[in-house]
Amino acid sequence: MFRRILIANRGEIALRILRACRTLGVEAVVAYSEADRDSLPAQLADEAICIGPADARRSYLSAPAVISAALVTGCDAIHPGYGFLSEDETFAEVVRAHDLTFIGPPPDVLDRFASKEGTRRLLGGFGLPTIPGSDTMLRDDQHALSEADRIGYPVLIKPSAGGGGKGMRMVRTSRELESAIKICRSEAKSAFGDDSLYLEKWLDDNRHVEVQVAVDRYGAGVHLGERDCSVQRRHQKILEEAPTPSMSAEARANLADIAIRAVVAAGYENVGTLEFLVDGAGNAYFIEINCRIQVEHPVTEVLTGIDLVALQIRIAAGEPLGLRQSDITTRGHAIEFRINAEDPAHDFRPGAGVIERYHAPGGPGVRMDSHIYPGYEVPPYYDSLLGKLIVWGPDRATAIARSRAALEELLVDGVTTNIEIHRALLDNETFLEGRMTTNLLDRVGGAAFLAAAAAR
Amino acid sequence: MPDAGRQRERPTDAAPSRASDGASDGASDGASDASRLADHSAIARLTEDLLPALIAKLSTTQLGELEVREGEWHIRLRRPYGVGPGEGRRATDKPSRSQPGHEGHGHGRAAVEGHRGSRSSGGASGSAGATSGGSGGATGITAGSGAASASSNGTGSGGRSGGGDGGSDRSRSIATSPAVGIFQPGPRAASGTRVRAGDSLGAVDVLGVPQEIEAPADGIVGSTLVEAGMAVEYGQELIRLELTAPTNAGPAGVR
Repeated sequence: MFRRILIANRGEIALRILRACRTLGVEAVVAYSEADRDSLPAQLADEAICIGPADARRSYLSAPAVISAALVTGCDAIHPGYGFLSEDETFAEVVRAHDLTFIGPPPDVLDRFASKEGTRRLLGGFGLPTIPGSDTMLRDDQHALSEADRIGYPVLIKPSAGGGGKGMRMVRTSRELESAIKICRSEAKSAFGDDSLYLEKWLDDNRHVEVQVAVDRYGAGVHLGERDCSVQRRHQKILEEAPTPSMSAEARANLADIAIRAVVAAGYENVGTLEFLVDGAGNAYFIEINCRIQVEHPVTEVLTGIDLVALQIRIAAGEPLGLRQSDITTRGHAIEFRINAEDPAHDFRPGAGVIERYHAPGGPGVRMDSHIYPGYEVPPYYDSLLGKLIVWGPDRATAIARSRAALEELLVDGVTTNIEIHRALLDNETFLEGRMTTNLLDRVGGAAFLAAAAAR
Repeated sequence: MPDAGRQRERPTDAAPSRASDGASDGASDGASDASRLADHSAIARLTEDLLPALIAKLSTTQLGELEVREGEWHIRLRRPYGVGPGEGRRATDKPSRSQPGHEGHGHGRAAVEGHRGSRSSGGASGSAGATSGGSGGATGITAGSGAASASSNGTGSGGRSGGGDGGSDRSRSIATSPAVGIFQPGPRAASGTRVRAGDSLGAVDVLGVPQEIEAPADGIVGSTLVEAGMAVEYGQELIRLELTAPTNAGPAGVR
């Protein structure tokens, strides 16, 4: 096991990793930017070190700053959290070159799964169904047009790098295609520094379901069930739950089973998540793998009782998994609500400001992972996640009832939050019946969704 | 939202005429006619009397930012980002760091741990930003020499640039670390050396790549706060300077 870990991230995930370190008896150093000087993880860490200015490119995204901080504070491993440098294979390589361990897949594994398109091909070869799409990256407009014709409209333009909906466009006709590609290329270029694009068949009414896996370096792997992440706004998840309400136990078990078989066969290592789109007929298509801990990992933690961050650290330290598939059992139902500093009534515009009052809800099955506190200033430079409310119940109805009570109790004053949209979701018939698809919110927009709930 | 709670403040980043425009904008905030007229005359007076002096002051000094408080009015003058001395550096952009825990330690590890104590009390008060902490009607000036200070994010929230300047001793300045790494003072870091703003005082070694430590102002090198070869973090205070340039006087006419 490691002696001392540098946490190269911020916000709630830095705090989550810090807690895992404490549990494992490992010292934790938090690397922070000037804007996060007063943050809770920086206050609670065994040691905290300023690595740069607020601008993430010169702090959380700066490989030299992060590695230098790890070296001067005597760390032997770096936990990148999610986002920032968490899936950067070059960073992982440089970390290793300095005799430090990157907590995540080893660099060669990251490299193998770096391209979404290449990963679809790789895992498709190991039995995962994939969405019909372009065979290669799009060379030019002519190539794009002929590929789109072959796949059939509507098609989705996607960037090879990155995520979060940037550089992504759905196109219904060949006439729209050329201009949409131009926009996507420039968005992808500025967001990820890579403008390669590919096409996928657009599935109109789909669910987003993902399988959590863990594989050690000796090739032993387990899945930890799936999560339904269909509730999104602008391609970003805001609510995740498990088990997936729209899938039978058998279908869920089958999906998780083919997922773990494929990643073990492909030589994946450490925790990871395989994302699938599930269409109205129940067909699942693999879309991408996330080679890191995910925001919504607590859903699986409360269902399985397994600390995924601790597991991730142990695997990176070279420990055997110590779990067989039969050891993994899930119990009850869990829902996670992402509490963001954003305004659902105004196109989910992100906000910042000082938290004036904060009260986290409690009670049976209620967990709040958050780094905010009264007086904390939410900086404008980073993502808008303030925390995650995770609610467990023995069944979905109880989990929803507890969620209503918890959201009612949750108090965040001083910044505009999306708590209202979560309350509205819990009154939404489509959600209550478990029939939600990825366009539940975007079809009408946040403001109309809130208004509809208020009119009820 | 960045401007919430700063209603009386009129940004003066632009030319003085912009400030009078700001007054007519102010009519929409529901102020009475009388107070609007008062605002108009106050702004006119500040624009004519104070701004020219401030502009002259800013252009003849090494300062990146000037803030003047008169009654309930604030005027802040700022160099555009990337213009003027000390660009890209934040020499005094982190006054919350000038805490007792920082003084005179000579050890990186201890230095880092020294921050923790100070941080726990810093949360609520530090968050109020640059324009808080005013003392009633008294006139005060906040000056920072980092041109990048606050303006780099464009939000106007002031970030951490407020709270005074380490006791406002304007005869001194401190060179801070440009990066996290190992402190390697250069020959010009010797006490008593006369240096100019921008001179290299040494470097912080980041994975074998030296990042230059620049003198934030003209002056004479005083004490070095960290031993050579020790670990330092970004923004850590490294070398004291006694200033030679006259930057201590407030603008004439400010009352």
